Amino acid sequence: MEIVKKTSPHLRRPNARVVRMMRDVTIALMPLVVFAIINHGLNAVFILLAAVLSMVLTEYVYYQIQDLKAGNGFTFKNKHCTIYNFSVITSGLIYGLTLPDQTPITVVIIGGVVGVFLAKLIFGGMGQNIFNIAAFARVFVVLSFGAAVGYSQFVDANAGATALGILNRNIVDANVTNSYALMTMFTGIGLPGSLGETSAMLILVGGIYLLLRRSFDVVVPLTYIGTVFVLSCAVMISQGIGFWYPMTHLLSGGLIFGAVFMATDPITSPVTRPGRIYFAFGIGVITFFIRLFGNLPEGVVFAILIMNMFVPAIDYAKWSHQKFNLRRLSIFSVVIALTILITIVGVNYAG
Amino acid sequence: MISRAKKVSDYKELNTTLPVTRYVDPETIYINLTNNRCKTYELNVEKGDYIRVAQIIGERSGGFFKQPIYSTVSGTVGETVKKHDGTGVEAEFITVKNDFKDELCRNVVDRPDSVIDAFTQADFVNIVKEKSIIGLGGSGFPTYIKLDTKEKINTVVVNAVECEPYLTSDYRLIKDTPEPVIKGLIYAMKALNAPEGVIAIKKTKIPLIEVLERELKRFKEYNIRLAKLEDYYPQGWEIETFKNAVGITVPIGELPMKYGIIGFNVSTCAAIYEAVKHNMPVVKRHFTINGDAINFPQNYRVRVGTNVRDLIKLSDGYVDDAKQINFISGGPMMGVSMPTDDIVITPTTTSILVLKSTDYKEEPCVRCASCVYSCPAGLQPVQIMNAVKRNDKTALANLEAKNCIECGLCAYVCTSKIHVTDYVRQGKQLLG
Ligand code: SF4
Ligand code: SF4
Repeated sequence: MEIVKKTSPHLRRPNARVVRMMRDVTIALMPLVVFAIINHGLNAVFILLAAVLSMVLTEYVYYQIQDLKAGNGFTFKNKHCTIYNFSVITSGLIYGLTLPDQTPITVVIIGGVVGVFLAKLIFGGMGQNIFNIAAFARVFVVLSFGAAVGYSQFVDANAGATALGILNRNIVDANVTNSYALMTMFTGIGLPGSLGETSAMLILVGGIYLLLRRSFDVVVPLTYIGTVFVLSCAVMISQGIGFWYPMTHLLSGGLIFGAVFMATDPITSPVTRPGRIYFAFGIGVITFFIRLFGNLPEGVVFAILIMNMFVPAIDYAKWSHQKFNLRRLSIFSVVIALTILITIVGVNYAG
Repeated sequence: MISRAKKVSDYKELNTTLPVTRYVDPETIYINLTNNRCKTYELNVEKGDYIRVAQIIGERSGGFFKQPIYSTVSGTVGETVKKHDGTGVEAEFITVKNDFKDELCRNVVDRPDSVIDAFTQADFVNIVKEKSIIGLGGSGFPTYIKLDTKEKINTVVVNAVECEPYLTSDYRLIKDTPEPVIKGLIYAMKALNAPEGVIAIKKTKIPLIEVLERELKRFKEYNIRLAKLEDYYPQGWEIETFKNAVGITVPIGELPMKYGIIGFNVSTCAAIYEAVKHNMPVVKRHFTINGDAINFPQNYRVRVGTNVRDLIKLSDGYVDDAKQINFISGGPMMGVSMPTDDIVITPTTTSILVLKSTDYKEEPCVRCASCVYSCPAGLQPVQIMNAVKRNDKTALANLEAKNCIECGLCAYVCTSKIHVTDYVRQGKQLLG
């Protein structure tokens, strides 16, 4: 028996483990995976497998090469790989679930490889990345292979009506067919579209699981969804249209999926509660503005990536703070009021 | 997990239920001559002299104050030796061979209540100073300096929260002998002319609340109330206790006396009583031995100057399958790791924890922010850690790293099992 000296504290929280947190996210995604497979059959299986494997293998190969370069011998099990704590598996699954079911496998793989490499590995691996890996890969795919991802099928399939599309056409003088198609793609249960984004219900089940396990920070999705809801309600009131309008906003375009699974990625969010509220509020505002005034697909992923860039600024030591106080709260309220005002004015002008 | 740590896993059930065992007097008692506040001393007894309990055998001094050194045993003076005290520092001790007669020094006489009633603040201060009463919760700060405050005190708070896991010596002290605690509080109220006394206790400690409520009925004429506080860590941190028990927030770094509050630990209160009423210095104290690497966790009533090794023996030693253990003085969250188990109990040593040593595998920080959510001082430990890694002093100053109270929560909650508290400590050092 030997007495060893350590520094305090001498206890650790039993449930605080990275693997528990990341595994929980994977578990929370499982209903969506099943749903995707039921809806899209083998297509879904292949896309998800390609998404996960491309990310896992890229990371594995990368770290093996790094190790060999550093002069360490080859060992099959590489200790740097985050497959052991589910981190890369989670990224891969989320990425896969955001893809439309017609995405060619090669595109999935290229997106996965590039995503993990550019968004994660060159930043220094887990914990160092600035951008959400899944969102980055997703946007990369859209920008590089927009046509190949095959939006066109859905335009016709759902030409019936999506409320958001119609509204967009009325309000924004944009390419109507285009925005209409993009919005349709993400809308409602039972519609073709991205593999995992269409079932708000199953996403919420996953979210509740994560909440009960305290494996994500519920403040982020609440603020994010709440922001979009409030802004769309403001538009609803100022335009005198029905309640379907805000609801459509909530249930379409992968908003809930992004809110629950992507914006909550702790690595790419600020580290204080007020910071996370500003961050989620920012994502909400950007998402909404992209939808209203912009012409971009994937408002959600873009918004998340844009706010990812602001995380270091939010966390800047000079003004980051652990708690709200009266002054900060009042400033923030003013910002919220201004945003609502801008939205209403903007909608009126655009209309 | 991404959440604030409210309750640190408690292990008190291990020994709150056990009574305090009677203590078999050790053969040899070690009386501390130096401590972390007083580095020099003068001795007025020699090897071979016979000394009695509560006899002044010398004086230790450090900086601006002096403390008389009291004998805690009757017997024959032996050699001076160097041993570790409960702060983990080597100090000088004088050995006394116990004659088991427990002969009291002649100056130990009870004061009649009528005399005490006529005491002024200066009288109380003098007694407490002369009896070397110090903060027995572990701070070791001389109590007379606190009692001597010139501020107007409205509330005297007895801190009976004992929020550290594993520790139960205050618990047993109140349960077994509530009266000295309450009387000590009354003396402190008298000394400071304070209208109100508050005993702050966790609301989950129902047996203690029952005991105290019953006991307080006998002291109806004093305005003393129980403040039943939520059970979370670090409820026992003075600022947190004051905020919840009295409703006054004392900013970090300021003296509570300025805000009309003063706080004493339970054992300190009992010690004030003993000093004022019985003219006794701290000779015995309650002491916890606990942890998962000890066979028989137990509360003891010990003579100050006992070697912890004697108690380990009484607790049936260490468990067999413990290869490496941590030997901790104090609680598991803030306690100090000792290099050896050859520790002498001084008045400020509250407990010893013997834990199986675990090495935690650190992972990269996932920025989960549990540490930020949990920090009671309102800091952002993860940001402090990153600033330390960058050696960025401006950021450290902005993040107010110096306000850290080293409560240990940030490392306790860390999802990646990083020793965040150590980084924050480094940050404090960098700021100087
Ligand atoms: S140890 Fe310091 S930084 Fe860490 S939680 Fe406690 S007060 Fe905050
Ligand atoms: S240091 Fe630990 S607790 Fe703090 S954010 Fe990083 S992983 Fe979470």
